[in-house]
Amino acid sequence: MTASASAEKKIILVGNPNVGKSVVFNTLTGTYTTVSNYPGTSVEVSRGHCTLGGQRYQVLDTPGMYSLLSITEEERVARRILLEEDPHIVLHVIDARNLERMLPMTLQLIEAGLPVVLLVNILDEAERLGMRVDIPLLAEKLGIPVVGAAVGRKRGIAGLRRTLRDYRPEHPSFAYANDLERDIKRVTGLMTGSYILDRKAMALLFLQRDDEIVERVRHREEENFRQVEAAANEIVFDRRVDLHLRISLERKRICKAVLDGVVKTDSGRKPVFGERLSTLMMNPLTGIPLLLLVLYFGLYKFVGGFGAGTIVDFLEGRLFEEHLNPWAITLAERYVPWYWLRELVVGEYGLFTLGVRYAVAIVLPIVGTFFLAFAAIEDSGYFPRLAMLVDRIFKKIGLNGRAVIPMVLGFGCDTMATVVTRTLETTRERIIATLLLSLAIPCSAQLGVIFGLLSGVEGALAVWIVCMVLVFLLVGMLAAKVLPGERPMFYMELPPMRLPQVNNVLVKTLTRMQWYFFEIFPLFMIASVLLWAGKMTGLLQRLIDLLGPVMGSLGLPREASAAFILGFFRRDFGAAGLYDLQTDGILDPVQLTVAAVTLTLFVPCIAQFLIMQKERGWTVSLGIFLLVTALAFSVGWSLNRILLATGLLA
Amino acid sequence: MKCSFCDNELDLDMLREQACGACIGGCRKIHCPYCGQENQLVPEYLDRLLKRKQPKE
Repeated sequence: MTASASAEKKIILVGNPNVGKSVVFNTLTGTYTTVSNYPGTSVEVSRGHCTLGGQRYQVLDTPGMYSLLSITEEERVARRILLEEDPHIVLHVIDARNLERMLPMTLQLIEAGLPVVLLVNILDEAERLGMRVDIPLLAEKLGIPVVGAAVGRKRGIAGLRRTLRDYRPEHPSFAYANDLERDIKRVTGLMTGSYILDRKAMALLFLQRDDEIVERVRHREEENFRQVEAAANEIVFDRRVDLHLRISLERKRICKAVLDGVVKTDSGRKPVFGERLSTLMMNPLTGIPLLLLVLYFGLYKFVGGFGAGTIVDFLEGRLFEEHLNPWAITLAERYVPWYWLRELVVGEYGLFTLGVRYAVAIVLPIVGTFFLAFAAIEDSGYFPRLAMLVDRIFKKIGLNGRAVIPMVLGFGCDTMATVVTRTLETTRERIIATLLLSLAIPCSAQLGVIFGLLSGVEGALAVWIVCMVLVFLLVGMLAAKVLPGERPMFYMELPPMRLPQVNNVLVKTLTRMQWYFFEIFPLFMIASVLLWAGKMTGLLQRLIDLLGPVMGSLGLPREASAAFILGFFRRDFGAAGLYDLQTDGILDPVQLTVAAVTLTLFVPCIAQFLIMQKERGWTVSLGIFLLVTALAFSVGWSLNRILLATGLLA
Repeated sequence: MKCSFCDNELDLDMLREQACGACIGGCRKIHCPYCGQENQLVPEYLDRLLKRKQPKE
């Protein structure tokens, strides 16, 4: 082979037998091709050349293969070509009529880190059978270029050439179920050698006892091989009953989810209402108005209006302020002679007057109504459709639709949502999602209180929403640019749409409210005690004095410092502090909006910070903490200037 | 129990034994291994209440 020939970029065709690979090969290369035995084997391999956009490529047609786990000599040769020929593009040719059966190999090729382009061939026959394949959607879900064609009928060839010419390597990733991923990571974590295929693919083939791969790993790992083998042996023993089956079922499950919505079969049956609604929810043109309706009635009217308005007015404004607090204070003044104890129980930051009042009279009704709306929406099967809808937007900010789960959960509680970010497939996604959760996703309680607060001031809520959306998108996109990494693949099976079941909704709501009381209520008490201790020792006043100039630069009164300090314990605690300032008439509309925006963007609550540290480590969590603090005050400062200069909300 | 997000069946006996990362457990939640959704474990008294209310077959 000459030096120039060895420097040629290679396009390697792979696929099952009888999918039209040879026709594709002939179409790309023309007549001047060579057929020879692959070195050391009796298997014939065809080589030819093609020129795309002025670049000359060598094209190889490999023997048919069903999987990277090779059984026949042909499959072993095809895999060896992938391992040894350093392809610029691996063109995987599949039959449009058998997508579900052939896509698992596409997944294997992607998993192996190979530069895959998928050619869905024989589309004409599939269409004759009444199948319609949504090629752009398949490309979007897989995260690789996909071309639809019927090469035998000269259809799609220009598109194929264009795709090959413009190809830029993408490295999408996907994950199996957690237990399998854990076993794979156990093996890859021990591997230190360098491999052409991704370590995850090597580990899976190693666990499946592929002799050639075992030898390659032995050769690359040298001394380390014993450790890798010992770990693999343990896993193989533990999973002796079903390892191969489990891997195969996992791939099938992922393929089924990838193909959901991609292939439509025209059976002549009219879709039922649920199916029509499901399609409308995922189409950006109709899905976004439907989302706005859900947000307006589910959150704004029900949580913001009914929960934060009617119920809080009754519980906080009437029950606590007019009856319970005066009664408790009178009781304490009569029977408790010690000032410090009176302060602890019924003082400014007292366990009863602040902790219980905030937790029970302000936050609980809001959280309760949120949980009720959330459970009803969840039980209807809307969230997976929302994930599909926002997948495209999320991809722009380096996330995939799966990130909808932590984001939506973040509206319930950012702390638990931060834990859930670990289910995202790439480290890059986890960091971006954690950052966005800390910054621009207010928890249910805070959201409810802010909705309740701002809906009383004309235009304030609109300014707040615009600020949040802009910060979310801008920071997300910047973070995606700064953090390099793999592009996530998105696949999800869609459960059927259904009317929410009253029993399910009630049980879910009550379960979550029980969680709130067991895990969150104690935090309110602890925060009250700390604030009381701060007041008694004078530390709190010093902290408020320290924050005074910062509040001044935001155009806020000094009293607002307390709300921000409360917000560090829990964001809803801080939001409830703002509620107090608003009802006392201390904040004007501009100040209220600036305070709400800054507090929403302000540092995560103490529990979220601790979880963030546990999940992402000190460096990332401290980095996010500092970035979020700086951004919150910068945005607040800018917003104050803009509102004052434009006279908006004045 | 089914996952409230993706509707996949969850093997509670298996999932109960697995703690999430460095977590010591005890949070009364189950993470779906398929989609990551955090499912609240229904308290027994609510479960009983739910079963009692289901119509007899």
